[in-house]
This record gives sequence, structure tokens and C-alpha cells, in this order.
Amino acid sequence: MSAVSATSADMAETRRKSFDLSMPIFIFLALLLTALVALPLFWIIFYSFRSDTGAGATLENFVTLVTDSTLLQAYGLAIGMSLAVGLLSCVVATPMAWLVARTDLPGRKWIRMLVTASFVTPPFLGAIAYEILAAPNTGLANVVYRKIFGLDQSTVLVNIYTFSGLVFAIACFTFPYVFTLVSNALDKVPSDLEDASSILGGNAMTTLRKVTIPMVLPAMLAGTLIAILQSLTMFGSPAIIALPAGFHVITTKIWSLFQFPPRLGLAAASAIPLLILTIILLQTQKAILGRKGYTVLGGKSGSPRLTKFGRWKWVAIAFVLTVLSLTIFFPYLALVKTAFTNTVGDPLTWDTLTLKHWNFVLFEFSATRLAMWNTMLLGVLTATAVTAIALVVSYLVVRRSVTGSKYLGLLATAPVAIPGIVLGVGLFLSYANPTFQLYGTLWILLIAFMTIELPAGYQQMSSSFAGVHPELEEAGRILGASRMTTLRHITAPLLRTSVVAAWCFVFVGTIRELSATILLTTANTKLVSVIIYDLNESGDLGAICVLGILLLLISFAVVYVANRVPVLGGAQMSTRG
Amino acid sequence: MSFLVLSDLEKRYGALTVVKGVNLSVDKGKLVCLLGPSGCGKTTTLRLIAGFVPADGGEIRVGDKVVSSPAGTMPPENRNMSMIFQSYALWPHMTVYQNVAYGLKLRKLPADEVDKRVKAILGVTQLTPLAERYPGELSGGQQQRVSLARALVVKPEILLLDEPLSNLDANLREEMRFEIRRLHDEFRYTTVYVTHDQAEAMTTADLIVVMNNGKIEQSGTPEDIYARPETEFVARFIGGTNILTGKAKGKNTVDVDGGFTLQCGSGSLVEGGKGIVSIRHHDIELSPKKKVDVNSVPRVVKRQIYLGSHRDYLVDIKGGETIRTVAPVDVEMPVGSEAWLHFPPQHCRALTE
Repeated sequence: MSAVSATSADMAETRRKSFDLSMPIFIFLALLLTALVALPLFWIIFYSFRSDTGAGATLENFVTLVTDSTLLQAYGLAIGMSLAVGLLSCVVATPMAWLVARTDLPGRKWIRMLVTASFVTPPFLGAIAYEILAAPNTGLANVVYRKIFGLDQSTVLVNIYTFSGLVFAIACFTFPYVFTLVSNALDKVPSDLEDASSILGGNAMTTLRKVTIPMVLPAMLAGTLIAILQSLTMFGSPAIIALPAGFHVITTKIWSLFQFPPRLGLAAASAIPLLILTIILLQTQKAILGRKGYTVLGGKSGSPRLTKFGRWKWVAIAFVLTVLSLTIFFPYLALVKTAFTNTVGDPLTWDTLTLKHWNFVLFEFSATRLAMWNTMLLGVLTATAVTAIALVVSYLVVRRSVTGSKYLGLLATAPVAIPGIVLGVGLFLSYANPTFQLYGTLWILLIAFMTIELPAGYQQMSSSFAGVHPELEEAGRILGASRMTTLRHITAPLLRTSVVAAWCFVFVGTIRELSATILLTTANTKLVSVIIYDLNESGDLGAICVLGILLLLISFAVVYVANRVPVLGGAQMSTRG
Repeated sequence: MSFLVLSDLEKRYGALTVVKGVNLSVDKGKLVCLLGPSGCGKTTTLRLIAGFVPADGGEIRVGDKVVSSPAGTMPPENRNMSMIFQSYALWPHMTVYQNVAYGLKLRKLPADEVDKRVKAILGVTQLTPLAERYPGELSGGQQQRVSLARALVVKPEILLLDEPLSNLDANLREEMRFEIRRLHDEFRYTTVYVTHDQAEAMTTADLIVVMNNGKIEQSGTPEDIYARPETEFVARFIGGTNILTGKAKGKNTVDVDGGFTLQCGSGSLVEGGKGIVSIRHHDIELSPKKKVDVNSVPRVVKRQIYLGSHRDYLVDIKGGETIRTVAPVDVEMPVGSEAWLHFPPQHCRALTE
């Protein structure tokens, strides 16, 4: 009988332990996430009803919003721009995705890798590359054109400082979204569906038109909507191209309301329609992807059919090369050339090669070291914090150890609907006040980055958690491992790859962030992305290119290291999946 | 003396009670099969024994210790049990050797002892050449054997198996059934085995426990369950049978709804109450002419199929039921002809509801 009493003591102890751990963590996370998401939104709404001149509640900000022609125009241009970007991305990316996924085009694997790699390019860097390439006077394209045809200085072939130039420059960096979604969808269309069409008498064209394209249409639409959303909420590229061109889109307009004299109430009110548009776009995208079962296609049945090219092969290759040149080769070459020559327009010879920009950035320019340090510090902190939070939240949500954990999942996903610039406004209003006094510190930036990156980190972690069968953990328990030992020996090693991937993803996302940063940064908290933007205003393209290349090198290095170092779970795991 | 005892065990999920007062005693060294259709509560019962789910009523005792009761649940890791999961649950980041050694390492055995025991069990389960492979590099049957080896090597007090063969193809499944029985005969661990496949249960079990709707319908040896079912559910679920209903005329006589009377050789009835008679397909004798007087009745053949080793007949009787029976190949009667059905009394089992 003594055994019985010992057992009940054991049991009581275990119960107390598991209760103690889960509940406080749950409550802490719930409070933290609520604060991260709700506080900025609350202050945006609060300020939008507050007069910038006097005190008290007022509707004057909203009246200004619908009557002020510059604001209306900014919204109109932003919407027009993003629709054009969406359309252009879709028109370019869809044929390319088809070529890569469903034809015998040579080098398909490389094309896919290149396009995926271009995700890493920060859009604002792309915009700067196109400044170098296509500015009306000094743009390389114009210089070369004049030289070849012996034309005078006033002739201009291309001008990036226009509305269409802006659309083009943004589309170069949003088309990978459409490309990735469509090519993945094409990969997954089971070939027997197409075989079924053929056997019933459909020729290749009919099958493509009636079966294949309708199957990937949702992916196309969803990708296009993402491209639209991305360009609508983007700050960097419009600020670099639209401002010299003499017009505002809504993000740059909101930013200008923060310049002296600041009009915070109006900025808050102007941010609200952008927030609503984002939510509508995301809901539409969700509806499109979720409406019919065929979009989320299950396992492959047979490998996809490949269309064989005859003499049309060269047309296809030319098309792909053109797209890749415009979006990847030319911009990167322009960045590298500018980093190593005296001025943008210098011809590329041994004499013009110089390291003076590198010298300037690395040793002379006082702001570099601080900005690099800040960027790295924030990147590491954000990536670590977001991965840790995402890990615990998805453990609670997927394993449902605590009731109400679903709410945590919703909170962790919510920031996806808040555009960076809107979040910037919200965080400024929340934390740049006498109570918190976080403005001018790195804390406010850390909060911003954590909020922005949380949805991506959470999504990655929760899907990989769902991939770890609960029986794997139970097998550990029944063989004698406690809950913590099981987590350490079994769950953690299985999740290691995803944790590392999520960490890198967040890190790379953080060090290129500009939309929220631009409103929250001060002289003491400069980041590399902000310095690039500042240097652009002073026209120092050589230094920008050096910084941009450094930023890219760091991004690629992080991704590479994560994939290669076996301790971090790269190659070792992937060879057996 | 019983080693594993479940008394009045209950489990509720919200308003739904999935295990409704299960009582079961298992002697040391026996293999018990929990058999039943999906959703009958057998897997939940197994997880209650393992300690993955807490009990809402009753208790589970192992030896003289209470391991689960509404007052508390001993965590699975302290129960010295092991389990084989439906998905095998092999850890993909560990080799076969590491998977098998894991439980021993947790028990803090000296390294050479761990090595000796792992190698021994890998030999018994014919896995020695695969020791350094990862689970992803093994076939389904090999993974199954690793899962067995990992569970057996720790010398558990109780071994639990949750539908261990449901992911294997038919041939392998049959082979593994005998393998599991062979290993049980070798090691004699007290074992609880959950399955919905009666052939699996018949092959492996010392004791079969048929569950339905959260309750135990009947428990007994495979022969008890098959030859002497106590309820209609058990008779139908194990082996398939013909069920004839009517009114009980005496302790072993039933007036069947089809308009004839059956003498039952076993089972007992309450006179004047409802009478249910079960008779297996292959126990009915079919002939063109009347052979005996008792339990014989002429009916019309509805369907006849030649199956090589035998013929499969469907014969309609009045009252809506259709009798299915098998006959030797030489008993050939065309569809539409009259046939005599003879129900030998020793094979007619009277059932209560």
C-alpha cells in the first residue's frame, strides 16, 4: 500500500509542474501579442479623431482626407501604380512559370534558382539600380545609346523618373511572387488530369486552355494580388523614383506628413484606408485560394508533362533571357559597376576602376559602423525573438496544451494585414510619448520588426510543427522520457531545420526593412537601409552601391551558412526527407 | 493474479463519453486484443492505459499500484510500459540503432550493456544489417520491425500495440501477425493489442475483448468469441453470420419470422421474449431434397456464384432476411430452383440482444 501513496505524490507533482509551465507562458504571450498588435492600431484610430492644431475630438482629418486633392491624388496614383504592377507581374511571370515548369527549356533549374534568389534583393536597391541604369541624363542606358548613335546630351532613350518607370522598377521585384506561386501550382497539377483530357480528344492547346490554365488560375490571381499589395504598401522604391519625378504615392505622402511641421492626426487618418485596402486584398486572396479544393493540390500523381519545343525554343530562350536581364543581370551589374568606378557615367576600363567608394564607406564615412552594428544587432535580436515566440506559440496552438491557444495563433498572424508604413505611424504614436519615450532608441525599431516579421515566422513554425507527428513525441514519453526530455531529444532536433530557416528568413527580412523604419529612425538609430536612402538624397550612388552589395552579401551568406552547416540542420536532414 | 486491471474505466470528451465503464483483468504474460470497429473506444482505452489521457472515472491498476484514476495520472514515462504506434513513430533523425537504444539510454544502463541488448534485439528482429540506416531508408515492414525492437528492448512491464499492422500491405500484414505472436511467445510480456481486424486478433491473442460503443461486448478466447458469441454484434463482427430473429418459444426454440421453427444447440433464451439465432455461413447445409426433419425449410435460390473451392449462395426467406450460405462445388442448384436449407441445431446459437 505504501506504493500507492508514493504514486499519488508523484502524480500530484507532475500535474503541478505542467500547470505551472503552460499557463503563465500562455498569459504572457497573449498579453505581449495583444500589445504588439492592438496598441498601434488603437493609437492610429485615436489620433485620426484628434485635431493637429487644437485639442478635442474632431472629424477634420477625415474631411481633409476626402477633400485634399494632394492626398486623393496620392491614393489614386498608388492604386493605379499597384494595379499596373500587378498586371505587368502577372503577364511576365505566368508564361515564364509555364516555360520553367512545363517545357523542355534548357537551364530550367537555374532560372528558377535565379528568380528565387532575386527575392533577396531589397526593392529599394532595385530602384537605385534603375536610377543608375535609366536616369534621363546619367543613366547608363541613355549614355550607351547616345554613344552608339552619336547623339547629343539632350536625347533620352528611357527615363525612370516617370509613372511608367516606377511601375517597371517595382514590377521587376514583385514578379517573383507570381512566378513562384504559378510554377509551384503547375508542378502540382497531376499529369493524369491532362492525360484524361487528351484521351477524351483534347489536343495540346485545348488541354492547356481548358484544363491546365484553369487549374493554376487561382495561383495566378493570388500571386497578382500579392504583387499589388506589395507595391501598394511599398515605401522605398516610390520614394526613390516618384519624388524626383514630382509626384507622391500614399506611402510617401504619409511620410511627408511626418516632416516638419508634423501632422500626426492627418497621417493617422490617411493610414486607415491603406489598412482597409490591405485587409480587403488579403481576404480576397484567401477566398481565391480557399474557394475550390483544386488550388491546394494534394500529392503528385505522376510527373508533370513537359511540352517539347521545336524551332520555337529560341523565342522562349530570348524571352526568358530578356526578363532575367531586366530584373537581375542589369541591375546587379549596374550596382557592381557603380561600386567600383569613380562616377556612374565612367566607361568601364582598368583606369576607372577604384576602391574609393569602399574606402569611403568602410573607413571614412562615420555613420557606416554604427548603422552596420545597429542593423546586425536588430537583425539578430528580431530573428531570435520572433523565432522563439513563433516556436512557443505554434507549440501551444498545434499541440493544444492550453485552451484558447487558437487565439494566440490569430494574434500572431494579424500583423500581416498591417502595412509597414501604417505600423510605423502606429508605433510612433504608441511609443514616442512621455510614457514610453522609446523614440530614438533601438527598442522601437525592435518592436516594429518583431511585429512585421511575426506572421512569417509563425506560419513557418506552425506548419513544421504540424509536420511532426504527435506519436513521435508519445513514443519518447512511453519509453521513459519526460515532457522536457522529449522536447530536447526528439521535437527540437526534428524542428531544427525549420527553426534555422525561419531565423534566416526573419533576419533577411529585417535588415532590408525600410517602410516602418523610415518613420521610427533617428540620427542615433540609423540603419543601413536608412543610410542608403539618405545617401540617395545626396546623390552618392557609389557609396550606396557598396552598402547595397554589403547588405546582399550578408543576406546571401546567412542563407548559405544555414543551408550548408550540418550542425544547423542543412544538408544532413535534406538528404533523407 | 491479474496484473493489469481496469475497473469501471470512463473517459469523456465534452458531452461525449467514449469509454463507458470498462472492466478488464489481464494476467501477467498474456496477450489481450481489444477488437472493435473504429470509434468503439479501443484506442482511447489503450491511451488511457499508456497514460496519455487522464481517466474521468474508475481506475487502472498495474500490480498493486493505481496508475490512473480521476485523482491523478502517473505520467507515461514513469509506467515502464512501451508502445508500438500506428505510424511506427520512428524518429527520422536517429538511425535504427539509435532509435532502439534510446529507451535503454534513458534508463541509464552502462554503455556495454546497452550495446549488448540492442544488438541482441536487432538480431531477433532480423535488423542487424540495417542498424546504421535511417528510418526514411527502410521499407514499411522493416520500419515495423524497428518499432517492435524499440518497444521490446526496454523489457517493459506492459507492451501496448495500436493497430500496428494497418499501414502494411496484405501479404506483409499476414507475415507480421505471426511474427508478433512468435515474439510474444519468446518474451512473454503482458501485452494489450488494439486492432479492428479479426484475423489479426485470432492469430495473436490469448484473450479477445470485443468492444462496441465504448463498452465491452464480450471477452474470451478466440474460440469462445467465434463459436459462442453472446450478442448479435459479436456474432456479426467476428466471422460474419446469418442472424434470424423471431419469438422465443422455449429455452432453446425460436419461432423465426420467416415462418419456421429452429432448435438451438447452445445459448439460452427467455421464454416468450425476443429470440435471435446466429448461424455461420458455412454451417448451413444446402440440398435439392429434404434430408432431415429438424430445422429444415425449402426456399428459392436467389443468387449462386462459383468460387472455385466452393459455391456461394443467397437464399431469400420470408420476413425480409436473406440467408447467405456456402456449399461444396458439387452442390449445384440454378437460380430460381427450390433448395432445402438445413440448420444443424448444434450450430444454431441462441442470442439475447
